[in-house]
Amino acid sequence: MEASDLNDHISRRFNKDIEDLRNSVLAMGGLVESQLSKAIAAIVSGDSELGLRVARDDYKVNNLEVQIDEECSRVLATRAPAAGDLRLIVAIIKTITDLERIGDEAEKIGFLASKLAAMDRPADSYRELKTLGNHVLHMLRDAMNAFARLDVEEAFETVREDERVDDEYEAIQRQCITFMMEDPRSIKRVMNVTWTARSLERIGDHAKNICEYVIYMVQGKDVRHTDISETVDLVSD
Amino acid sequence: MSVAARKFLFGTALFLGAGTAVGWVYGQAMNGLLVAVLLTLIWQIRQLLSFERAVRTDNFDDFRHGEGIWEQIVARFRFERSRAIRRKGDYRRLLKEIRKSTDAMPDGAVILDANNEIVLCNRAAKTLAGLKRKKDRGQRIDNILRDPLISQLLGDSNFDQTVEFPSPVAEGRWLHGRVVPYGAEQKLLMLRDITERRQLNKMRRDFAANASHELRSPLTVISGYLDSLADDEEMPATWETPVRQMQAQSHRMQRIVTDLLELSRLESAGTATSAAIDMVRLLERIRSDYESPANEARIILNLQSAVELLGVESEIESVVVNLLSNAMRYTPREGEVTITWVSSPDGADLSVSDTGDGIDAELIPRLTERFFRVDRGRSRDDGGVGLGLAIVKHVLARHDALLRITSEPGAGSEFCCHFPPERVVVAPPLTLS
Repeated sequence: MEASDLNDHISRRFNKDIEDLRNSVLAMGGLVESQLSKAIAAIVSGDSELGLRVARDDYKVNNLEVQIDEECSRVLATRAPAAGDLRLIVAIIKTITDLERIGDEAEKIGFLASKLAAMDRPADSYRELKTLGNHVLHMLRDAMNAFARLDVEEAFETVREDERVDDEYEAIQRQCITFMMEDPRSIKRVMNVTWTARSLERIGDHAKNICEYVIYMVQGKDVRHTDISETVDLVSD
Repeated sequence: MSVAARKFLFGTALFLGAGTAVGWVYGQAMNGLLVAVLLTLIWQIRQLLSFERAVRTDNFDDFRHGEGIWEQIVARFRFERSRAIRRKGDYRRLLKEIRKSTDAMPDGAVILDANNEIVLCNRAAKTLAGLKRKKDRGQRIDNILRDPLISQLLGDSNFDQTVEFPSPVAEGRWLHGRVVPYGAEQKLLMLRDITERRQLNKMRRDFAANASHELRSPLTVISGYLDSLADDEEMPATWETPVRQMQAQSHRMQRIVTDLLELSRLESAGTATSAAIDMVRLLERIRSDYESPANEARIILNLQSAVELLGVESEIESVVVNLLSNAMRYTPREGEVTITWVSSPDGADLSVSDTGDGIDAELIPRLTERFFRVDRGRSRDDGGVGLGLAIVKHVLARHDALLRITSEPGAGSEFCCHFPPERVVVAPPLTLS
């Protein structure tokens, strides 16, 4: 499927419906991206007000999900799309679920940021969370870019990134355990750090899912729950 | 008709005539004409076919055009074609030059059509915002730059908005975006890297905050001793005036430092976390605090609405107090100062107007600058610090509000703060007990 295929329907209204859906998913993606980047900034700069604002703004993401979901049902019911269009709608329905979850995780991170802001701050001001966070933010951006450009290559790159995110998460967890063993008084704070890292890692997984939907949408092949090398084989057939 | 065309017509007619004549000699005039027509036709068809081949293979060496009309056609054709090729080369070179010059621009430029779809972008747009030149052509810009601020920017039909947002590709870099109308229905999105400017601004803010903070402790000590000196009854009378003056000046410096600290706090904080403020109660309290006997202008409260405002009460109070004390300072004792609170579907307005001297129109845009004074000598004597309106501006920015200043020299001024509808809450009606 190519981007130009999307503009190739007999009914212009149908074209517009599909185009609008795609645009609103990307707008939702943009909102989620900015929520995540604010949440990370709140952690790094210890800005509790910003963190709380992110948590408060999550309703916007939820509203968009409901709205797009309804629109998808409407298009399904009235236009009975087939082939590529059907795959697009299915992929959109799944994508917005993952985006909404990412929004929830960002909300959690914002909330944790406001808690962490009230506690002592380590000298490196959570550098490892910043690195992991930026990594995950990039994954999310690339996933949405792949969705916008229907770019399977980029989707693959991003799916591969997830392994690196998992490694980073592992490292942070190990570091946290060390801290807690060294100084039990820090457990409360370090637990929050662990939760944050956990949320970031989950966001990476959701971004990976979105990339898999992109591959499904473009190529019609289901690459979920497969090994990365198998995935490449599946798609290069 | 050209010479060649005339020659051609004349030649053909001559040939046909000759054919008829030869036929006539043999008593077969019609057949003679027929043969001549056929010969002409065959020759022309051959010429046409070989011309077609010559055009197709771009090789005119084998084309026997002789001297007649075909020579003209071929010559004209070759001339026009070489000119077209030369022009195409010129245009291509020109386009390349244009592209090179847009690529040399440090700012990103993206040309958008009426649907915000990308038509063209330069190299800086690629490095700053991650646009892909070929792939993203025809893609909507807000599908690639998905920051909610961008779609807000594109939705603004007045083209006077600008946004600052983090670059999606270059980590830690900030971009400034603005849209200018371009051609028919098209738009040009300009992106500029403002990371350095932001850093400089931050340094300036940090410096102001640190400097005022450092000045505060020594000032406290100085003014503390001056206060006790001033109260000391054993102090020689000659020292009394200098000490009083020193005391007044050190208090003034303390006020400046406090205001500077307040300003830098307002600047570094984001939008205000808000609670509903009962404006009616707040304004009445401020009025009763400020109303003083006879020698000052009268304060009139004009409360046309009971709506509440979402904001930080202490900050809104400082706005009112600053505007009010400015108005009092410039209004003669027989004048009056009016505080108005009105609401409409577009939001709510808080305005402070006076019947004082008024301000020259060209000075109005500079009023909110730090330490800017309309009349240097005078306001300093009145005890003004010069930071009041700067504080007002920052507080209002934090409350998404706008400050509008109108003034007529000699007739008075009005300072109006406009709050958007999102900041206004309609208070629940009072229940009578």
